Amino acid sequence: MSRKKQDYEHSFLYHFRQWVAGNVDPLEGTMEIRVPQKKAAETVAPDLKQIRTVYDPSKNKELKRFNRLYKASSLLLVLLLMGVLIWAMGFMPEIGAEAAPAHNATAGRYVEKGLEETGAVNFVTGMILDYRAFDTFGESCVLFIATICVQILLRVDKDSSWRKGRKTEEAEDSFRPGEDVVLQKVSTVLVPLIFIFGIYVILNGHLSPGGGFSGGAIVGAGLILYVNAFGFEKTERFFTGKTFKIITVASLSFYALAKTYSFYTGANHLPTGIPLGVPGAILSSGLILPLNICVGMVVACTMYAFYALFRKGGF
Amino acid sequence: MDVVKMIAAGSCLIIGMVFFLLCTFGVNRFKRSLNRIHAAAVGDTLGLLFTMAGLIIWRGFSFTSLKLLAVVVFFWLASPVAAHMLARLEVETHEDLGEIEVDRR
Repeated sequence: MSRKKQDYEHSFLYHFRQWVAGNVDPLEGTMEIRVPQKKAAETVAPDLKQIRTVYDPSKNKELKRFNRLYKASSLLLVLLLMGVLIWAMGFMPEIGAEAAPAHNATAGRYVEKGLEETGAVNFVTGMILDYRAFDTFGESCVLFIATICVQILLRVDKDSSWRKGRKTEEAEDSFRPGEDVVLQKVSTVLVPLIFIFGIYVILNGHLSPGGGFSGGAIVGAGLILYVNAFGFEKTERFFTGKTFKIITVASLSFYALAKTYSFYTGANHLPTGIPLGVPGAILSSGLILPLNICVGMVVACTMYAFYALFRKGGF
Repeated sequence: MDVVKMIAAGSCLIIGMVFFLLCTFGVNRFKRSLNRIHAAAVGDTLGLLFTMAGLIIWRGFSFTSLKLLAVVVFFWLASPVAAHMLARLEVETHEDLGEIEVDRR
């Protein structure tokens, strides 16, 4: 039995799972980064008086001159830029002119055939999630990548020296949002309403103004309000880093899978196989509704993840 | 009837705009954060109430005016709490609040 276990610990799968779970740092000991030993005795306390005189414009003549020059040159630059922009406006076509480059066949096509081809009453959603679905996919991916970058920069590890230096209770306490009775009472009323409104905006994206991005932002704002009122231990019951990973990756991969068919067939407008339904009904317009839900979930998760990372460096 | 409606709606809108103007002046002119928070809260509550009331009277009672009423209710719930949280943070973190008596609990 013990031999079996040893085998497992040497297997590729075990290492891979450890790596996925983040228990092992594959770069540890192989990179030429050494943490410098702290030399507490050698640090010299900065001379505050000298620093103050250096950064005080009334005492430092050079800084004063620089400030004046900076103001004058920035004013000049802004005026120059304004002049260039106003001059360039003279070359723009008149508002509503027929020869304007914006008035080509595309807009007319969207208005005339949009309802028939996409089934969405809201033309904007029909455009961004059907004709230009790649564009929206890129936007959702940008949100995901932004979250990952913030996570790289701001995430605080469980065993980091910064955390070790402080007492754990004190560290946890500084992350806890202020417990305020007024905020808690009001958010018990507001948070459900905000969630319902956000879900309504997402689900009605193809029928009325709104859609995944705005609805997701509303849901994310509701989550942030909830955290502020009740603290992280309440949200971590249902939203952790794992939930974030699962939701965003699942949504983005569903989006990618649902739209790759038209990429590999030359980006033509192809039938999805889902019936378009009656325009105006909630279950209509084919793929647009699920794609809207995907985008909404990604946006909501991104908003909450940003807040959690900036607030305490993790979920 | 239309004239009365028009006058009522217009005066409500003007009163709301005056409150917004006061709010803008206050936010930009006051020196201390607590005063600025107070000025901003005036715009969010009274200014919004009068502006939306004017629009509701103008529009008559329809689904749109119900939505405007919902906006007013939401703001009256949310905005004072936001001002309260800001003021609380200011009182907790600002060391020199000037001549105000604060009941620190």
